[in-house]
Amino acid sequence: MKITRRELLPVAGAAALAGYAAWDARRLAPPKRTGTSAVAIMKAASYTVDLAGKITAGIRACGLEVRGQRVLLKPNLVEFDPNTCINTNVAVIAAAYEAFLKLGAAEVLIGEGPGHRRDTYALAELAHYRGELEKFDSLFVDLNRDDVSPVMNFADRDRIYLPNTAMRADLVVSLAKMKTHHWAGATLSMKNFFGLVPGAVYGWPKNELHQVGIPESIVELTRIFHRSFAIVDGIVGMEGNGPIQGTPKQAGVLVMGSDLPAVDATCCRIMGIDPDKVEYLQMASDRLGITEEARIEQRGEKLAGLRTDFQLIKEFQTLRLA
Amino acid sequence: MADSYLGIRLNALRKAQNPDGGWPYFPGKQSWLEPTLYAALALHGEPEADRAWELVSTWQQKDGGWHPSAEVGFPHSTTALAVTVAAARGEFGSPFQNGVQWLLGAVGVESRLYKRAILRVGSVFGMVEDQRDFSLKAWPWKLETSSWVEPTSQALVALKKAAPKIPGKELRERVRLGEAMLLNVRCVDGGWNYGNRTARGDELRSYPETTGIALVGLQGRPEVGATLDLAGKMLRETASPMARAWLTVAMRVNGIFVDVHAAKLTPDVLIAALEALGAPEGNYSLLKVTG
Repeated sequence: MKITRRELLPVAGAAALAGYAAWDARRLAPPKRTGTSAVAIMKAASYTVDLAGKITAGIRACGLEVRGQRVLLKPNLVEFDPNTCINTNVAVIAAAYEAFLKLGAAEVLIGEGPGHRRDTYALAELAHYRGELEKFDSLFVDLNRDDVSPVMNFADRDRIYLPNTAMRADLVVSLAKMKTHHWAGATLSMKNFFGLVPGAVYGWPKNELHQVGIPESIVELTRIFHRSFAIVDGIVGMEGNGPIQGTPKQAGVLVMGSDLPAVDATCCRIMGIDPDKVEYLQMASDRLGITEEARIEQRGEKLAGLRTDFQLIKEFQTLRLA
Repeated sequence: MADSYLGIRLNALRKAQNPDGGWPYFPGKQSWLEPTLYAALALHGEPEADRAWELVSTWQQKDGGWHPSAEVGFPHSTTALAVTVAAARGEFGSPFQNGVQWLLGAVGVESRLYKRAILRVGSVFGMVEDQRDFSLKAWPWKLETSSWVEPTSQALVALKKAAPKIPGKELRERVRLGEAMLLNVRCVDGGWNYGNRTARGDELRSYPETTGIALVGLQGRPEVGATLDLAGKMLRETASPMARAWLTVAMRVNGIFVDVHAAKLTPDVLIAALEALGAPEGNYSLLKVTG
């Protein structure tokens, strides 16, 4: 049977539209990391120092170019408890916002989709985000209830739905908190991407990610959002039964870089955790980033002397760095 | 009426309705099943609610489940709310019947025999929190995932609404198990969070919004008496408009008078719909069930 070009046109058009509508995660896959990766460590004794200056210096030290880019800042906003420090401190978000604008970003938005709480704005108010970030309501997107698009291939699932605000961003900045995690060992810039998964589709909690597997989901989200940058708030982190019920632990650092596994491996070393024993970092190593210490170019502060062991729950004592 | 607490919210809902008949979570965005159905309940009997139902009817799948938006291609726990709305509208035809059958077939993955065996072994080795009776079949947000408080509570309301039209023991048994599951995962303070009492041995706090939602699912049960006092305290203390809205609906369906706050209207469509439902002259009775 002969098919004319005119007959093919609608088919080709439909195929193109379908291809546009469904992002193919495999096509979005980052190139395999080889060589070395830069990670910047900036000391910050408190949230009242010039954090915007430190973040700007860290971004420059890592060679990140943001001019003209649409940037989404993704803090870690989980729960609120005035007695501990669950969330990325608002001062770090404000400083990152200022730094990315100063470096020429075309747009800087803030977005988060908490895993347990449905009223994201009320949570943001409790965490002082709404009160202390200027024009918060016009900058913030509740990623749990954003419009979504399918992304094909997610671990053993044929697709995952992700928020359009995150998919359209040129750069997603993981503004994570340095914390221990009672299921993953540590929650840092990669695990923070769980908040990009929409609750309106997957619920509260986003149990689909646990069914897929926590390490697998962390790695898959890092693969999909590989156009990213990490800024980990380790000024005051959390130890013990994190990510919610732990206790504050001062590490006095901001850790930054474009290679998220490298940033997280560095954070682990600061926390006294062996990154080679953290399952998701093992899975991501060399595939999505570099975790080997010798291949991470430390910028800013040297890693030596910054180690401050975070208390680990008994189930994760074996993660302790020798 | 137009300037009243309820009138302001209903007007805001009318303005936020999308051209397709649905409602978004936030004005100007895509329509989603959840805000559409709550707005339709708030505006029950008005033309806007009929337009919404026309759209929602196209979102039911062949298996009887409803997907959560036009973009998302799998059935979702919000199917329960669609069944509740169908019952409220007095529409007991095949969409309603198929929706009920979907709910009866939906179960948290943790209740399957093989999963229970895995969880039992996992709890022995400390890999799984042994905090919950996994034999109590309840409802997940999405099939092939675990069951949680909110979808279970929504399913209980839907099935209790459906009970007079659905003969047989199966529905009554699912209601019994679902209620037992909610009571089983209640936090030590008497309220509910998303559905875990503890994490790595530490007690977890309840949340006001999920406490309100659970109280709607368990309305009329004698076990919730003390929690209604807690709900009153939460209502006075919470900073969350969504939590206040849910707690208000919960207390009303449990027969308790609530004075609505002169709260500022938020652009959040779901909250506006819940606040309208919970207003003294609102349609909260559409979520009321017996037995």
